[in-house]
Amino acid sequence: MRKRKILAWILMLTLASGLAGCGSGDTQSAAAGDDAAAQETADEGALSDREVTAYVGTSIFESSLDPVKGAMSYAYPFTNNALLKVNPESEYVGDLAADWEISEDALTYTFTLRDGVKFSDGSDFDAGDVVFTYETVRDHQANNENVDLTRLDTVTALDDRTVEFKLKECYSPFFDTAAMLQIVPEDSYDSALFDTMPVGTGAWKVVQYDTNQQIILEPNEYYFGEAPAISKVTLVYMDSDAAFAAAQSGQLDVVMVGSSYAKEEVPGMELAALETMDVRNISLPVQEEHTATDASGQEMTVGNNVTSDRAVREALSIGIDRQSIIDNAFNGVGVPAVNFTDNLIWASTDDYEDGRREEAEAILEEAGWLDEDGDGVREKEGLACSFDIYSPGGDQDRYQLAAALAEDAAQLGIQIHVKTAGWDEIVALQAVAGVVWGWGQYSPTVLYSLFESDLYLTGGYDNVVGYDNPQVDVKIDEALSANNQEDAVAAWKEVQRMADADYPYLYLVNIQHCYFVNENLDISTETQVPHPHGHGSPIICNMGDWSWK
Amino acid sequence: MHRLKREHRHWNRRMLVTVVTAAALLYLVGIFLWGTLMDPSYYAVHYENKLLPPGLSHLFGTDFMGRDMFFRCVKGLSNSLVIGVLAAAFSSVLALILGIASAVCGGWVDRAVNWCVDLCMGLPHLVLLILISFMLGKGTKGVTIAVALTHWPSLTRVVRAEVLQVRSSQYVQAAYRMGRSRLQVAWTHMVPHVLPAYLIGLVLLFPHAIMHEASITFLGFGLPAEMPAIGVILSEAMNHIATGKWWLALFPGLMLLAAVLLFDAIGDNLKKLWNPGSGNE
Repeated sequence: MRKRKILAWILMLTLASGLAGCGSGDTQSAAAGDDAAAQETADEGALSDREVTAYVGTSIFESSLDPVKGAMSYAYPFTNNALLKVNPESEYVGDLAADWEISEDALTYTFTLRDGVKFSDGSDFDAGDVVFTYETVRDHQANNENVDLTRLDTVTALDDRTVEFKLKECYSPFFDTAAMLQIVPEDSYDSALFDTMPVGTGAWKVVQYDTNQQIILEPNEYYFGEAPAISKVTLVYMDSDAAFAAAQSGQLDVVMVGSSYAKEEVPGMELAALETMDVRNISLPVQEEHTATDASGQEMTVGNNVTSDRAVREALSIGIDRQSIIDNAFNGVGVPAVNFTDNLIWASTDDYEDGRREEAEAILEEAGWLDEDGDGVREKEGLACSFDIYSPGGDQDRYQLAAALAEDAAQLGIQIHVKTAGWDEIVALQAVAGVVWGWGQYSPTVLYSLFESDLYLTGGYDNVVGYDNPQVDVKIDEALSANNQEDAVAAWKEVQRMADADYPYLYLVNIQHCYFVNENLDISTETQVPHPHGHGSPIICNMGDWSWK
Repeated sequence: MHRLKREHRHWNRRMLVTVVTAAALLYLVGIFLWGTLMDPSYYAVHYENKLLPPGLSHLFGTDFMGRDMFFRCVKGLSNSLVIGVLAAAFSSVLALILGIASAVCGGWVDRAVNWCVDLCMGLPHLVLLILISFMLGKGTKGVTIAVALTHWPSLTRVVRAEVLQVRSSQYVQAAYRMGRSRLQVAWTHMVPHVLPAYLIGLVLLFPHAIMHEASITFLGFGLPAEMPAIGVILSEAMNHIATGKWWLALFPGLMLLAAVLLFDAIGDNLKKLWNPGSGNE
């Protein structure tokens, strides 16, 4: 009997500890395999001291490596190159294109290609490959959600070195497209093979691909640029906490970490907080609560009676202290932001001071928001100055950001309830409550999706606040149909100047991407392009420039 | 003399069982009431106290938002208890009705109930929980209904077996002959007979319900992150284990473990007190 009882207790204990283990249990065994792989490569690395083992998140493993299906459409080259690329100043420069010309009516783009470029299988690159790539993507647009070629009419090779694109309508962001779509070889393109082992003109080629384990890269001997100094790079797949533990035991040279790890010390590694173009903002519905019909004909309640008051939105934008929010939520990692980042050529540079609490309070009082019952929350005609902000479930950083904002906003007498919801639920909630969003992309088309009035309630995540300003719509059209970059940029800036005056989005922070990097490895910070959205992979943007010190 | 000593020991054990049960009940009811009535300011955000290790001012330390882990755990456990009580109450009533119906009616009713029991037990429990919770949109509603709907099968079997034992006994047969309806027989003869086994089963359902609520919340299919719950606390703690913040996982884990073990102890003791079969153990 006694034995049985002891057994029962042991069973209960294991059952209980199984709870703590059931999330990490599978991952531990998986991580053990990864650790072994990492250990193996780390040992090899010690011999030649020329190899790099890196953990750059798992997103690179989760999608295809085939540019035709939208891989690496962040405007920086990797295994393949696009016609254009972005330089560290966020300007477009030629990559596979040596020169280009845009016709007066902005409908014809002519690119002159670089000479003497070869693919990693040794075959020559010419205009036929460009035509093949663009036509394949256009004909299979459903397979590629990142590069939109629906406005492309024809693409023709005028000769071996010249490609001419004709558009159906004016579309100035076509330039971004030319930087996002990387070229694949016409002769050897194989849709299934390229998911894991793409052939390209880039500095790197995949020599081994183990699904959800590792990707091994070596320099492409036919690369037209300077050959990388690193002879081999292994990208490993693990859980983020397992990766951090592996870094602590010296098995990784580069490891991506969240901001909550920024204060930690890792022996032999230094923290790199890299510049991004990624901002976090909160959408504040600008319409009053009413019933509307969405694109699918469904009736729904939209709008919010608190955030629809411009005074509330303005008071929040100027009254909160962004630096203290960043200190509280992100351990101080990140830069306060009141609009899109200055490292984007089209972004607004109209910055303003925040933390002007007295001014914010005056705005609220003038608009009739007073705290008469002394509970710390203002009210107006019986309506409490209180609303919900949803953080997408699973994103701890966004939740902490919203929670820190709520603490700060409480000092203004504005009550924010922070809640979490899955993306599927957010589609229904975004019209009535605030949502924490992340934006970080080269293309200014994001402004179209944020402010174009026609996009309200069309499904997806476009214009969720219900912004409706005919003048802004006109400017957006002007920007999209501009026939040169300068006019387009000027129009985009005007769009932001007009829309930002209504404070439909509460910008909080320009995040920084944190990595621990081996102190002997130089990741060439000066040639890193500002990272687009998606913490993890962007650090490999300049891997060809990395070197051992 | 020898006999007297034995009696003395016997009396002592009964006393001990009662005291242990009472103490366990006191702890659980205490946590439940304390958590339910707690002012949220006790576990509010205080960024100046981020990640403090356990000490006198914060018994269980603080988390990455400076929230006091002790009060958060009490609140979280009390939330879990509410769900446990709801789920166990619903599941046990369902089990009682189905178990008795199955045994008394027999025939196709018995087959249908058995088929349902097999169906539910054939699926891995956690998978079924996730499926139901996800289907109902997760959140408090999803997890409560999922936990309530999935804990009846084993108790149904116990009740059915108990009823089968008395079904053919003479006094039941006699009751039928005297013209009692099935419902009357079930109520006057079956229910009192299965009551001890039923109540023990009910108590033993609690730890399962609480564990499963915490499990699916931990996996992200249960209570939302803004609600203090042991599953939420544990899953947040996972992010900080690698950096050595052990107190974030240890104390909530221990509190959950204690609650589960105490429910188990109450169930075991009730079995000793009520189950006629174990009277001579």
